[in-house]
Amino acid sequence: MSNDPDKVWPTGLTLREAEEVHSYLIDGTRVFGVIALIAHILVAVSTPWLG
Amino acid sequence: MINIKSFAVRKISAFGMKYLPFADAASEAVPLSRLLRLSLFQVTVGMALVLMVGTLNRVMIVELSVPATLVGAMLALPLVFAPFRALIGFKSDNFKSALGLRRLPYIYKGTMLQFGGFAIMPFALLVLSGYGKAAQAPHWIGEVGAALAFLLVGAGVHMVQTVGLALATDLVEEEDQPKVVGLMYVSLLAGMIVSAFTYGAALEHYSPLRLIQVIQGSAVLTVVLNGLAMWKQEARDRVRGNAPRGPEPSFAQAWAKLSARPGLVRLLAIIAFGTAGFGMADVLMEPFGGQVLQMSVAETTRLTVYLALGTLVGFTMASRWMARGARPIDVAIYGALIGVPAFGLIILSAHMLSIAVLIVATLAAGFGAGLFGHGTLTTTMRSAPRDQIGLSLGAWGAVQTTSAGASIAVGGFLRDRLQSGGAGVHSAGAYIPVFFLEIGLLVLALLLAFPIFGRAASPQAQPQPAQDGFAKGNAS
Repeated sequence: MSNDPDKVWPTGLTLREAEEVHSYLIDGTRVFGVIALIAHILVAVSTPWLG
Repeated sequence: MINIKSFAVRKISAFGMKYLPFADAASEAVPLSRLLRLSLFQVTVGMALVLMVGTLNRVMIVELSVPATLVGAMLALPLVFAPFRALIGFKSDNFKSALGLRRLPYIYKGTMLQFGGFAIMPFALLVLSGYGKAAQAPHWIGEVGAALAFLLVGAGVHMVQTVGLALATDLVEEEDQPKVVGLMYVSLLAGMIVSAFTYGAALEHYSPLRLIQVIQGSAVLTVVLNGLAMWKQEARDRVRGNAPRGPEPSFAQAWAKLSARPGLVRLLAIIAFGTAGFGMADVLMEPFGGQVLQMSVAETTRLTVYLALGTLVGFTMASRWMARGARPIDVAIYGALIGVPAFGLIILSAHMLSIAVLIVATLAAGFGAGLFGHGTLTTTMRSAPRDQIGLSLGAWGAVQTTSAGASIAVGGFLRDRLQSGGAGVHSAGAYIPVFFLEIGLLVLALLLAFPIFGRAASPQAQPQPAQDGFAKGNAS
C-alpha cells in the first residue's frame, strides 16, 4: 500500500486527495473571514469603537 | 531511510484511521449508536427552527420593537431557498471528489453557513432595532444584515437537513429505513422541544448582551453537534474517487429520470396537501385555545406539548408498524384519515366549549401528523433509486418545507382577516374556516392517495421481529 507512487508522504493521501482536503480548509477560512468582516461592520455601526 | 519512511506511513495511516472524520469502510450493519450520533444534525436543525420562528419572532417584536411586517418578511426569507433543496440533493448525488465523498462536503458547507448566519445575526438584529448609535446609520444596513443572517441560516438548514437525510439513507438497508426516519424525526422534535425551553429560560431577562450570548452560543453548538454527527459517518471511497470524470448529468435530465418513476409526482402532491393540512394547526392551536376556550397561557403552552406528544407517539407507532411489514404509504394514509376527524373534533370543541375535547383532538391531530410525516418520508426513501437519493430527498424537503411554510402563512393570514374581536364562541368564527380548510386539504390528499391504498405489499417489506428493539427504544 505504501508503495503506491501516487501517494505522497507523510499522509498517504494521493495528491488529488490532499488538494481536496486543503480546498475545504481554504473554503472554511474564506467564509469565516467574510463572516467576521460583516460582524465587525455591524458591531461598528451600533457601537462605534473607531472614534 | 526507506524503513523509517514506511514505518511512519504505517503509523500515520493507523493514526489517521482512528482520528480522521471518515469511516474506514462502509460496514455491513450500522449500529444504533452511530445512527443516534448522526441524528444530532436534526437537533441543530430543530434548534435553528425554534430560534428563528419561535424565540426571535417574539424578541424582535416585543423587545426590539421591529415592525411585525418586517419580522414576518425576514422569517419568510429562508423559505425562498426551500425549492433549492432538490438542487442541493442532486449536486450531492453527483459530487466529484477525489476522496470519494458525496455528502460530507455539503454537510460541512451547510454547517458553515448556519454558523455564519448565527454569528452575525445578533448584531444585525441590534442594528435593525436601532440599538446604540445604529439609529443614526442608514436603515438599509440593519435590514440587509438581518436578511443576510436569516438567509445564511436558512440555506444552511436546508443543506444540512437534505444532505444529512441522504447520508442516513445511504448508510442503512431498505428494511431499516423506517427506523432511521423515526429516529430522525424524534431527534428533530426533541431538539425543538429542548431548545424551546432553553431559549425561553435563557432569554427570560432580556438584555442585548444576553441576546448576543444566546445566538452565538447556538452558533457554536451547531458546529459542535454537526461535527459530532458527521464524524466517521461517510466512508472514503477510492474507487468512486478515481472514477473517470465524465460529463455531469444535467439537473433537468436527472429530474426527468426521477419524475418518470411511477407514482412519484402523485406522492409529492400527497405530501404537499397533507403537510399543508396538518401544518396550519401548528400556529393556530395556541391562540385558538386562548381566545375561544379562554385557556390561560400555561394551558395553551401545554396544548403545544400535547400536539408534540401525539406526534411522538405517531412516529413511534409508525416505526413499529412498518417494522412489522406495513407499507409506509398506507401508514401515511391512516395518518391523514385520523387527521380529518381530529380537526372535526376541534371544531366541535369550539361549539361545546370543552377543553377536554380539544385536548383529545390535539393529541389525535399530532398522532395523525406523526404517522403522515413518517409514512411519506419513508415512502420517498424507499422509492429513491440508489444513485438519486439526494435528489429525491431534496424534492421531498422542498415540497414539505414549502407547503408547511405556506400553510402557516395562509392560516395566520386567514385568521387575521376573519378576526372580528371579542372572545369565547364569537371569536371562533376566525378559526373554524381555517380548520375546515385543513380538513379539505387532508381530504384532497386522501383522494390522491386512494388509488394506491392497500395494494399488495412489496416483497421487501416483510416482517422482521428480531430488529424491533429500535422502535421500542424510541418509546421509552
